[in-house]
Amino acid sequence: MLREVKEKLFLCGIAIMAALAVLPLFHIIYSVAARGLPVLLKGGLKFLSGTLAPPGDGLGGIGPAILGTFILTSLASLIGLPIAVMTGVYAAEYPESILGRLTRSLLTIMMEFPTILVGLFVMQILVIPMGSYSAIAGALALAIVMMPYVAVYTEEAFKNIPFTYREAAFGLGLTRFKVVFRVLARMAKKGIVTGMLIGMAKVAGETAPLLFTAGGLNRIYFAGIDRPVGAIPLLIYNLVQQPYENYHEIAWGASLVLLLIFLAIFLPLRLSLKEVKL
Amino acid sequence: MKGEVDTFRLSLLPFCALVFGIFTLMIIIYLTASFPIFQKEGIQIYITNVWNALEDNPDKEFYGVLAAIYGSVYTSVLAVLIALPLSIGFAVFVIDYAPHKIKEPLIVVTDIMAGLPTIIYGIWGAFVLVPMLRDYIMRPLYEHLSFIPLFSFEPVGGYSFLAAGVLLGIMVTPFASSIIREAYRMVPFTYKEAVFSLGATRYEATKILLGYIRPAIIAGILLAFGRAIGETVAVSLVVGNVFNIHPSLFAPGYTISSLIANQFGNAFIYGYMVSALFAAGFFLFIIGLIVNICGLIILRRYAYAQRG
Amino acid sequence: MKVAIETVNLRIYYGRNRVIENVNLKIPENVVFAIMGPSGCGKSTLLRSFNRLLELNPNARVEGDVRLYGRSVYDMNPIEVRRKIGMVFQLPNPFPHMSVFDNVALGLKLNSLVKSKKELHKIVEWALKKAALWDEVKERLHEPGSALSGGQKQRLCIARVLAVKPKIILMDEPTANLDPISAEKIEKLICELKKELTIVIVTHSPAQAARISDYVAFLYMGKLIEVGKTKEVFEDPKEKLTKEYLTGKIW
Repeated sequence: MLREVKEKLFLCGIAIMAALAVLPLFHIIYSVAARGLPVLLKGGLKFLSGTLAPPGDGLGGIGPAILGTFILTSLASLIGLPIAVMTGVYAAEYPESILGRLTRSLLTIMMEFPTILVGLFVMQILVIPMGSYSAIAGALALAIVMMPYVAVYTEEAFKNIPFTYREAAFGLGLTRFKVVFRVLARMAKKGIVTGMLIGMAKVAGETAPLLFTAGGLNRIYFAGIDRPVGAIPLLIYNLVQQPYENYHEIAWGASLVLLLIFLAIFLPLRLSLKEVKL
Repeated sequence: MKGEVDTFRLSLLPFCALVFGIFTLMIIIYLTASFPIFQKEGIQIYITNVWNALEDNPDKEFYGVLAAIYGSVYTSVLAVLIALPLSIGFAVFVIDYAPHKIKEPLIVVTDIMAGLPTIIYGIWGAFVLVPMLRDYIMRPLYEHLSFIPLFSFEPVGGYSFLAAGVLLGIMVTPFASSIIREAYRMVPFTYKEAVFSLGATRYEATKILLGYIRPAIIAGILLAFGRAIGETVAVSLVVGNVFNIHPSLFAPGYTISSLIANQFGNAFIYGYMVSALFAAGFFLFIIGLIVNICGLIILRRYAYAQRG
Repeated sequence: MKVAIETVNLRIYYGRNRVIENVNLKIPENVVFAIMGPSGCGKSTLLRSFNRLLELNPNARVEGDVRLYGRSVYDMNPIEVRRKIGMVFQLPNPFPHMSVFDNVALGLKLNSLVKSKKELHKIVEWALKKAALWDEVKERLHEPGSALSGGQKQRLCIARVLAVKPKIILMDEPTANLDPISAEKIEKLICELKKELTIVIVTHSPAQAARISDYVAFLYMGKLIEVGKTKEVFEDPKEKLTKEYLTGKIW
């Protein structure tokens, strides 16, 4: 009898735990939509293209932040992707070597690294010598955050190619360069591109690495690669801490924009895959 | 081919070297930037709760980040306590009980949660979660049970260790759950058969099989702790950002990451604050490294044992 | 002679595929009953319908009836059924994260069959002795179950099953993955155990069936071709398919 009661309690408990684990997402999406949508509707297209309103007065726009996110993500990809892919290839091609194994371990560790520490590091080596926040600093910080993900995806993509194709390619008398970059890379393309997109989606939403590197830009759109730049997450972070009601509204609107951008990249990606490492 | 230089390998090496170089440079930078405060205060930076920022008198400045360390550990432990049952429950539910059609959608939902920009968790935490916790949990508990130390701080705004712990718990659950889920899924079917053939109820069978994957659960918890302790923006928007060491869940406080985020803006005008913050960052660096390495080692050993 | 297990018009489906076709079997008490046949003919599936372990597979569907001492197993709680019928598997599977002692004690603890630690120790020792394993593990009771050799692991699994004192033990090719010496030890054990238990053993080796069983059933492509006393079936098989199987024409 007691066993049956335990059994029923257990099944209830499991279902409740599972529900609690996923419920917050729905509440979050609902909250962001409910509070952000009115702002977007009120602000219209100008919200996406305009510059920030003065405190306490109106909405203006988050244009500089959107542009900034775009610039930062692109720049970070430019810096980080080549390094990440090459590192991933090395780890895949020489898995038995000490360096290969160490690299793989290091990448796994870096994936779990507190991102604020990356921002702090870049601040020390770039922002302080340069004397100001800059887009390049922000991009570097994001590149460092992005690299481990892209590298690990690349490595897995190469490792998953059946050995028989490698044999065939070498059997044709190709050099290793050609085998890896012309033949195998084409087969691993899907995995590599997925890794890149996942990395980009992730850094587009990052805030902490940008806190002391990018600086934020609200009134003008772009001041140069060596000058501060805005980003949506950074803007939201700053606005939430301000006491002005209109700034909170803008923050919700920007959150909705960010959420939509994130889902637009992430959902198709995730649905085309079997599993995702985050 | 003997004696020929492996140009392929050589061409890739610089990239690997770069990655190692960045990591090493990071350690060096943290050590050198923390050096001034270590020289000035020694271990005191970590074991005292003091924040004497003086603009014009660098010698009299004194910093101690104990409150932040306390807060980081407190909120991360809280997060893990919340994440443990939720992630195990979710994993078991998805693998054993979920009808086929909602299995994949459920997993997609947790993957979205794992990748969601943390600032969105932050704004939701600050404007939605905190008021909810304050009105429905903190105030009632404080009114009736404030004699219990855990509930003994008066919740004013609601920004507190509890809010941070709950938010972090929600954030790291998907991550812990994916590790546990994968391990539970890979339990060889023959053990499931054996357990049931002995006449176990589903509850008992699950308990035994969870015992089988215990290393994976421990690794998941460690890695979740590592994630929680490193989280910055979401926490800094809900934890209160005051120097406070108090046992109550309802008290506001600091975490190392939120301290850095919060104080850095004005740190430059002081003589030693930057160094103090770097020292705090270094501490976080080390804890994060240790916890994550332990978690990864346990997980790897478990995975190898399975393959044999 | 009492009938321990009886199947009545048993049909088993995996999805749309019928893997067991109208099997009517009567397994007497306290004998070794072998089910033999070529690989993939449904022997393991049939076995798992006896203790309702088949239900772990969401694709499996059972029609017809399985009766335990006259009572339909579908009228009983599956947990009760599995307590009365023990099972030993093809790949020895003692729980690696539990000690030798705990492995044997598990069934007892789960089913609350003992009232004191002393009683627990007594029964664990008894079960290990009955499984001819006690002498080899009595100094190693707290080592993990995975530390034993293949043959020892299988005897540990038998001890695990014996501890709950079932009336019937199902064995799914128990010696398939063991070396000949361990296999022989287990076959000897089976002959010992049949004095108090009914043992249903699935085997892909007719020679094994001939060696240890009292009754044998020949299953081919899910159909029951022939069943009877082992001596009779082997010396004078009535069906052509049985003849072909026994002479190695089909395997």
